[in-house]
Amino acid sequence: MTVLKQCTHRAEGIRVRQPLRPVHVVGFVIVAAGAFLPYALESQPYLLQLACQAIVAAILALSLDLLMGNTGLLSFGHAGWYGLGGYTAGLAAKYATPELLIVLPATIVVACVIAWITGSVLARQIGKSFAILTLALSQIIYSLVFVASAWTGGEDGLQGIPVPTLAGFNIVAPQTWYWLLYAVLIVSLLLALYLRRTPLGRAWLAVKCNSERARFIGIAVFRLKLIAYVLSAALAALAGGLFTTFNGAVSPDALSWFESGKILMYVVLGGVGTLIGPVLGGAAFTFAEQYISSLTDAWLIYFGGLFVLVVIFAPGGLFRLVSMLWAKAAGESKEVAR
Amino acid sequence: MILQTQGLSRRFGGLKAVDDVSFAATENTVQSIIGPNGAGKTTFFNLVTGAIPPDAGRILFQGRDVTGLGPDRLAEMGLVRTFQRTSIFREFTALENVSLAIRSRERRNQALFLSRADEHRISEEARSILAEVGLTGSERTVANNLAHGSQRALDVAIGLASRPKLILMDEPLAGMSQGDRSRIGTLILNLREKMGLTVVLVEHDIGMVMRLSDRITVLQHGQVIADGTPAEIRENADVRNAYLRGSFAA
Repeated sequence: MTVLKQCTHRAEGIRVRQPLRPVHVVGFVIVAAGAFLPYALESQPYLLQLACQAIVAAILALSLDLLMGNTGLLSFGHAGWYGLGGYTAGLAAKYATPELLIVLPATIVVACVIAWITGSVLARQIGKSFAILTLALSQIIYSLVFVASAWTGGEDGLQGIPVPTLAGFNIVAPQTWYWLLYAVLIVSLLLALYLRRTPLGRAWLAVKCNSERARFIGIAVFRLKLIAYVLSAALAALAGGLFTTFNGAVSPDALSWFESGKILMYVVLGGVGTLIGPVLGGAAFTFAEQYISSLTDAWLIYFGGLFVLVVIFAPGGLFRLVSMLWAKAAGESKEVAR
Repeated sequence: MILQTQGLSRRFGGLKAVDDVSFAATENTVQSIIGPNGAGKTTFFNLVTGAIPPDAGRILFQGRDVTGLGPDRLAEMGLVRTFQRTSIFREFTALENVSLAIRSRERRNQALFLSRADEHRISEEARSILAEVGLTGSERTVANNLAHGSQRALDVAIGLASRPKLILMDEPLAGMSQGDRSRIGTLILNLREKMGLTVVLVEHDIGMVMRLSDRITVLQHGQVIADGTPAEIRENADVRNAYLRGSFAA
């Protein structure tokens, strides 16, 4: 658990302007290449579908990192928000309107309101208490699906969600879905990276590093945690809403503790607090899960083993490991150039 | 009086950690609280700074009843503290540690944007505070990499960024080398003489306490057993028996 408590951000200050470095160029190339993926996968619709799921997982991982990486609060029940978003969007699309410009904002508002109310209690807790309470909350949301089975479809899940529209246009083509999801991911990631550099982002990290001291210099620790909790829930709900409208159905599995565990794995494997790491972790995990589970039923054992290895040997996650190797290689190449 | 407590009490189970303590600190003085381990000094600090609520009694800061207010509200009002164990943001640079506290004072810690002019102004103020505590040249050093004495000075700098009127320092000399002790001692005197602050000090280094303090309060078993000038405390028979025996052998 120590990996989750670490405060590993080298804080140089707000908006430090950095020159364009090779890593930025590589990042830009990867983002640009991602936008062209539908062309490369034109003849492989299954892979494009999988890529869409990977993007949803990436948004979900980012949403959890907004909470864990910024404030150090560990959630065992993040799938609760994902499922809540999924069901809210699904019900809105089925019974009200399939227009995404209405459905998705409504989903976010519902998640924000519920997160604000529950967060007013949960965000006052720390450590294990917070983690256990998030698990309990997600199980309550899970059970509500069965209580309201006349609306939600109970164990069968919510089916028959109509094809959604965006500004009146039907969204059917997988390519269109891909670009929509990809745009949401990139915008969310850029906003998260921007937030990290704002006074709010610095104050979050201060709370994560030393919440007692933060309180004694006048930082409203509870309020900052609550803001992170609500933002995190809202983004997870958006991911759930996008997935449900893309998939045309949502099942109670989306809310399960197993799903919560997977989201946690995305973040820890990618690198807690790195924002980019969990995004890559979520996407890579989705592809790996698909391929490895087709080879062996024991795929979870391999993932569990990898999880243990990362926590022990690369507590900053794979992103920090790669960053360190990159920095080392860059340092060595500078030495050679001299 | 800048700070007063009246009948302040706090129990932990059957233990009276602070028992009916009435204390007063005059503006622009260094006042020390001494006593053996377990006398209730840190609990007293925790009560005054709002970390824990009292079971009974009142706390007045600048004449205003602040009993029950949390540390964040008290910091805004000008009452700050440093900790027994150095409490800084270890992964932040020294400059960012202080800048964070300045932004907090200005209530900008939830801001989503800061103009370049504001960034520059805050950064300059942070540099000048770091200079006051002798940390010029260490602005860009990650706090965790500073020497112990410098970390303690940074702890004080974070407190100063709140523009306090009163600073409570909990064992600021603990675990320090002789050189660092003398440096922090000078810093404490500067807080009073150059910055006009009131300092309330908990410290075990009796020699330093006698040198720095204008007034000393002695606690034992959570109660005040003596209060007076360093000379009066030195001569007090109860204090000598309870705590100072051997401290002035030299």
